[in-house]
Amino acid sequence: MNVSSQAWVVVADDATIGGLLGAARPLGTSLVALVAGRREVAEAAAAAGVDRVVWLGEPADGVPVEAYGPAVGRVVAEAAPRVVVGPATDSGRVLLGAVAAATGAVVLAGASELSLDGDKVVVERAVGGGIALRRDRVVAGTAVVAVAPGGTVAGAAPVAVEEVDPGPLLALRVTDRRVTPRVGVDLGSAKTVVGVGRGLKAREDLALIEDLAAAAGGELACSRPLAEGVDWVGKERYLGISGQTITPDLYVAVGISGQIQHMVGVREATTIVAVNSDPHAPIFRECDYGIVGDLYTVVPLLAEAFRAARS
Amino acid sequence: MKIVVAYKWAANPQDAEVGPDGTVDWSRAKGAVSEYDPVAFELARVLADTCAGEVVGLTVGAAAIDTPLARKAALSRGLDSLVMVADDALRGADGTRIAAVLAGAVRAIGDVDVVVAGESSVDVGDRQVAMTLAAQLGWAGLNAVRAVTADGGSLVVEREVAGGVETVVAGGPVVLAATADAALPRVPGMKEILGAAKKPTQVLDLAALDVPAPADTIAPVSTARPDTGNRQGVMLDAADLPAAAAQLTAALRQSGVL
Ligand SMILES: Cc1cc2nc3c(=O)[nH]c(=O)nc-3n(C[C@H](O)[C@H](O)[C@H](O)COP(=O)(O)OP(=O)(O)OC[C@H]3O[C@@H](n4cnc5c(N)ncnc54)[C@H](O)[C@@H]3O)c2cc1C
Ligand SMILES: Nc1ncnc2c1ncn2[C@@H]1O[C@H](COP(=O)(O)O)[C@@H](O)[C@H]1O
Repeated sequence: MNVSSQAWVVVADDATIGGLLGAARPLGTSLVALVAGRREVAEAAAAAGVDRVVWLGEPADGVPVEAYGPAVGRVVAEAAPRVVVGPATDSGRVLLGAVAAATGAVVLAGASELSLDGDKVVVERAVGGGIALRRDRVVAGTAVVAVAPGGTVAGAAPVAVEEVDPGPLLALRVTDRRVTPRVGVDLGSAKTVVGVGRGLKAREDLALIEDLAAAAGGELACSRPLAEGVDWVGKERYLGISGQTITPDLYVAVGISGQIQHMVGVREATTIVAVNSDPHAPIFRECDYGIVGDLYTVVPLLAEAFRAARS
Repeated sequence: MKIVVAYKWAANPQDAEVGPDGTVDWSRAKGAVSEYDPVAFELARVLADTCAGEVVGLTVGAAAIDTPLARKAALSRGLDSLVMVADDALRGADGTRIAAVLAGAVRAIGDVDVVVAGESSVDVGDRQVAMTLAAQLGWAGLNAVRAVTADGGSLVVEREVAGGVETVVAGGPVVLAATADAALPRVPGMKEILGAAKKPTQVLDLAALDVPAPADTIAPVSTARPDTGNRQGVMLDAADLPAAAAQLTAALRQSGVL
C-alpha cells in the first residue's frame, strides 16, 4: 500500500487532543483531524491548528463514539496517511482497533517518542509491561500509534469542518448514565508520596500509612490491588502502568513488592525509600534506601522521625 | 447464548531476564492464565448461568500454550469447552495478527453472540487485541466493562467512563473487555480441576482458518533497558530500627527531599 505524506489524528468525542496533535504534527506535511463525536468537539479540533477536519456527523441521542468504528476504519484506509495517532483511552483503542483492522497495521501502544527517518515513522515504546524499551521503524503501510491525549488546544484560526457520511453505525445505545462524585487528586505534582501495598493486613490499618503521609507532608497512594481488588483506597490513587505516574522528590513504598507494573509509575521519583519484610522483595533492587522490617513496627518509628525532623 | 472467553496463556515479565542492551529473554518465565483474564471467565460464567448459555474458552499462541496443565488451568475456570490455535508460526505475533487468528477461530466456532476478554495481558499489556478483534469481526467493541446481562436478543452492558458508569445496550454481537475488578474470580477447587479433564478441547489448524499471512510492516531498530534512576540501594540496619529511622531521616533532610 502506498501511503501519502499526511499525518492524521483520530479524535474520540473528546477535545483534549493536545498530546495527539503534538505527536502527529512533526510526522506529516499536513495534519488532518478525523472526528467521531459531537460538533463541538469537531469545532474545537478545527481551532487547534490543523489543516483539515473531517467530521463523521452529529451522533443521534445515546449513540456512543464506539458505534463509529467501521466509519473511522474506512475513512482512514481510503486516505492511507503515513501515520495515524489516536488516544490511548478506552474509546480511543476501539477506534484504533478499527483502523488496524481496515489497514492491517499494528497498533503501537505506549509510545514515548515518535520521529521521522526519511519518510518512515520511528516509534519508541515500552514493551513487556515496561521491562524494556524498543524502537521500531514502520516500513510498510500506515503507522498507527496510541498516545496519551493531553490537554485542550485553541487559538488557531479555525479551518472548515468537512462533514462526511459515516455509513452504517454499529448497534450500540447508551440508555443510562450515573455520575459518580470523584475527588480529583493530582498525585502528578505532589512533592512527597507515600504508597502502600498488600503488605497492609486490614483496611483500618490505613490510618498508620495516612499518619506517615501526613508526617512526611505528602499524599497517600497505593499499589493496584489496594484500589482494585480490595477497594481500600480510591482508584485515582494507585500508581503504575495502568494508574498514575508520579514525579515526586520522595516516594516511600510500604509493603509493596515492587513489580514492574508498579515501578513504571514511580521511577521518576528523585528518591525512593522501601519498607518491606521480605529482604528479597524486588523493590530493594530499585530503591535508594531500604529497610527490611514489619511495616507495623517500622512505620510508626518513621512517622515519628519525619515529624521531628520537619517541625 | 454462545459466549467465548478470549484469554491468553502468558508469562509474567517479572520472571523474564532483561539484558543490558534491553533484549528480553523469556526462556525462564513460565506460562499461566494471564493475570486479569480470570475476571473474564467469571463474567462469562455469570452471564451464561442467567440465560442457559454456553461458555467456550479461546486462546491462540505458539505450540507451547497447549499442554495438559494449560488445558486444565482454563477448563477448571467455569468453561464448557475449550478451543485453541497452537502453532509456532504465532510465536511473537503482533496484536493485529493475534486478533485476526482469534477472529478466524470465532468464525470457526460459529453462532457466537459475545466475546469476553480481560483488561490487558500480563506480557504485552497494550489493551488492544480485544478491540482489534471486534473490528475484524465487524462487531462492536466496548472497554472497561464491569457487568453484563442478557435482555431478550440484546446485551445490557455496564461500563466505566470518565466520571461515572454508563449502561450501553448492544443490539448485535459484541466484544467486551472487562475492568480488572469487574468480578471476583472463583478459585478452582478439586471438583473443578477433576471435572476439567472431562470437558472437550478442540485444537484448530491455523492453516484452515484462512487468516492472511503476516505483512512485515515494522522492523526493529534498537532495544534499551529502561532508566531506573541509578538508585543508591543503601540498606539500613534493621536490627536497630530507631537508629535506622534517624539515619534515613537525616539523609533525606540532607538531600533536601524531606
Ligand atoms: C497488565 C497489568 C497491569 C498492572 N498495572 C499495575 C499498576 O498500574 N500498578 C500496580 O501497582 N500494579 C499493577 N499491576 C499488578 C502488579 O503486577 C502487582 O500484582 C502489584 O503491583 C502487586 O501489589 P503489591 O506490591 O501491593 O502486592 P504484593 O506483590 O502481594 O506485595 C506485597 C508485599 O508486602 C510485603 N509485606 C507483607 N507483609 C508485610 C509487613 N507486615 N510489613 C512489610 N511488608 C510486608 C511482602 O513481602 C510483599 O513484598 C498490573 C498487573 C498487570 C498484569
Ligand atoms: N493470544 C491471545 N489469545 C487469546 N486472547 C488474547 C490473546 N492475547 C490477548 N488476548 C485477549 O485480549 C486481552 C488484551 O490483551 P492485550 O491487548 O495484549 O493487552 C487479554 O486480556 C485477552 O483477553
